[in-house]
Amino acid sequence: MSSLNASLATALSGLIAEQGALSATTNNVANVNTPGYSREQAVLVASDPVVVDPLTFGTGVTLQNVESIRDPILESQIQQQSQAQGQFSTLASALQQSQANFTSSTGDIGTAISNFFASINQLSTNPSDVSLRQGVLTAAGNLATSFNTTANSLTQQQSNLDLSAVQTIGQINQFTQQIAQLNGRISNLQNVGENAGTLIDQRQQAIDQLSALVDVSVIPSDNTLTLITANGAPLVTGQESFQLQTQTTTAGLHDVYSQGVDITSAISSGELGGTLQARDQQIPAIQSQLDTLAASLANAVNGVQAGGFDLNGIKGTNLFKPPPISGVGAAATLSLAITDPALVAASSDGTAGSNGNAEAMYALSNGTFINGQSPTNYYSSVVFNVGNAVSNASAEQSASSLVLQQLNDQRASISGVSLNEEAANMVQYQDAYTASAQVITAINDMMNAVINMATLTG
Amino acid sequence: MRVNPNPYPDLLAAVAQTQQQINTDEQQIASGLSVNVPSDNPAAAAVLVQNADQTSQADQFQRSIGSIQGEMQNADSALSSVITSLQQAISLGVEGANGTVNNADRAALATQVRGIQTQLLSLANLTYQGNYVFAGTATQTTPYVLDPNSPSGVTYAGNTGVNSVTLGSHFSLQTNLPGAQLFSASGTDMFQSIQDLINGLQSGNSIGTAVTEVSKSYNSIDTQRVFYGNALNQLSAQQTYLSTETTQLAEQQNTVAGVDLTRVISNLTAAQTSVQATLEAVGQTAHINLFDYVK
Repeated sequence: MSSLNASLATALSGLIAEQGALSATTNNVANVNTPGYSREQAVLVASDPVVVDPLTFGTGVTLQNVESIRDPILESQIQQQSQAQGQFSTLASALQQSQANFTSSTGDIGTAISNFFASINQLSTNPSDVSLRQGVLTAAGNLATSFNTTANSLTQQQSNLDLSAVQTIGQINQFTQQIAQLNGRISNLQNVGENAGTLIDQRQQAIDQLSALVDVSVIPSDNTLTLITANGAPLVTGQESFQLQTQTTTAGLHDVYSQGVDITSAISSGELGGTLQARDQQIPAIQSQLDTLAASLANAVNGVQAGGFDLNGIKGTNLFKPPPISGVGAAATLSLAITDPALVAASSDGTAGSNGNAEAMYALSNGTFINGQSPTNYYSSVVFNVGNAVSNASAEQSASSLVLQQLNDQRASISGVSLNEEAANMVQYQDAYTASAQVITAINDMMNAVINMATLTG
Repeated sequence: MRVNPNPYPDLLAAVAQTQQQINTDEQQIASGLSVNVPSDNPAAAAVLVQNADQTSQADQFQRSIGSIQGEMQNADSALSSVITSLQQAISLGVEGANGTVNNADRAALATQVRGIQTQLLSLANLTYQGNYVFAGTATQTTPYVLDPNSPSGVTYAGNTGVNSVTLGSHFSLQTNLPGAQLFSASGTDMFQSIQDLINGLQSGNSIGTAVTEVSKSYNSIDTQRVFYGNALNQLSAQQTYLSTETTQLAEQQNTVAGVDLTRVISNLTAAQTSVQATLEAVGQTAHINLFDYVK
């Protein structure tokens, strides 16, 4: 048979358990706006019963655990989507800057090409006119400047991206260090059976932020986890973090190294992936197309010059300084080889009044000598490529934002703190607490009755 | 089912997205273009580059036509004067061939024809903006100079070169006739026929033959003058064509990148309403939860 003391202990267990459960609610309410916080739930279980033959009595309640509510599969999907989101938003914003150079305006390369050929057509109407010849040189100079400006702007963007890659690597290193430390604290707590929920939340938050920066895979193990990059280079193993390093390339850019291995080309997503993609692939692709255009155009114009005669009847010489044989850097370095308008080789027969060679030069405007395309058509395909790259990156960014938002919604519906729920829990725990306290008062009365009874008989 | 207890980030994202749409709409209305950066529509942006180039070419062809027209009109009217002068020379020759004319009268007629020769020389050496019009491509060289040692009385110092100028995507026009072809072709050499007429009038011999020669030159130049008339007609036809082309290019630009204002403004209004409604909903539902009712 159970004793009053046992009942008192049972009621007391109720008080303690409800108080503990209420503290979980309190913590939830306090963290209602904490990013990455997963709500905690008190796990109440009935205490082991005692058997007082022939009866079995309950011994109250135990607050077994305060567990954080989260879905590990969802977390890993969020990480993947954060990587895609980081990659495409960085790529889109980098390319958006690049495309500013290709917006049709008075200074873009397309306009400069049109103006150059227009000046030649005008010269063709009066080939001995020095002011029209000067017009050709001015338009050619503007064309060169427009190539220079665009190419330099792309190079500038490239080095800005390089700087931001280095900064991102710094952030990555901070996060991996933080995650390694949290790993240590979490396993210490869990080794002694404590709830590490809050620290796990912090670690999850750090992993999410890290995922936005670089592609990482999470390999969980007992009480700890390992983070590796796409090519398998470890970032965090248990309590140890491995810093990413950089080395300057011959081009003055920074390559990413992990423990001595160049992993630059293996990084495909996250902000770092997007930055490197813009820096190492997209912008160089645009630069290379501009170089092809500049070199082909300069060589073609020089070729026509060589076939004609200048104002003084002398064989024509280069109008543009010959571009590098490889074509690399042609756009950035395009410049005029002559300053004397008389040296424009408009004549095909050596007389000042002949326009035959000016016509030949004008014919270049529709000549298909740049990968089978005319200068303007080639330039228009560059504009298409640039626009398409931005448009694709933006579309991917929107798509991944949407998916990420949905995943975050899902996570919030599982792990987010609901004030309604917490209020209900609070009332519930409070009521139970009050009830347990009433039970104790009742037991106290009963005790008093027993004690008074003893006094009476005594 | 448990729902996301904190819908604010979603609502804010939705508002931000709609705000983005509003910005795009406003930019389109302001610029009148639906393609403001290449990524708005890459294919259309590429077409716009080509369209801008074609428009620039058409504008340039118009300017070039303007430059050429002046020279060709001057050449044409110079040839008209040449023809008048040759008609006068023929009349004087016919008069001199009449048997009743005495030596003194013929000498006077010869002097008049010499005056015509000077006029013709001046017309054949016509310049326009510093260029000799009938010198072939040797436009910096005086094409005809008096030369007493030459049978025709002049020497041609120009060449036989001709220029053509591109004035349309499939249109190129020859812009000059060299004096060698116009005035000095073998058999219809204008200066030779005039010199022969002067010699005939002075000597009284072969005046009729000389008049026939001058008539041949006259016919030849009158026929060749059609070149300039035709060219000027072609130029004005091309001007008309180019302005049609410019209009078509502008229409194409509008089709490819123009803004459908009705649609954009209606989108804009819808977007603004949506933002307002979302914000009002947030404002009204925001701060109600069970804690408010727990006493």
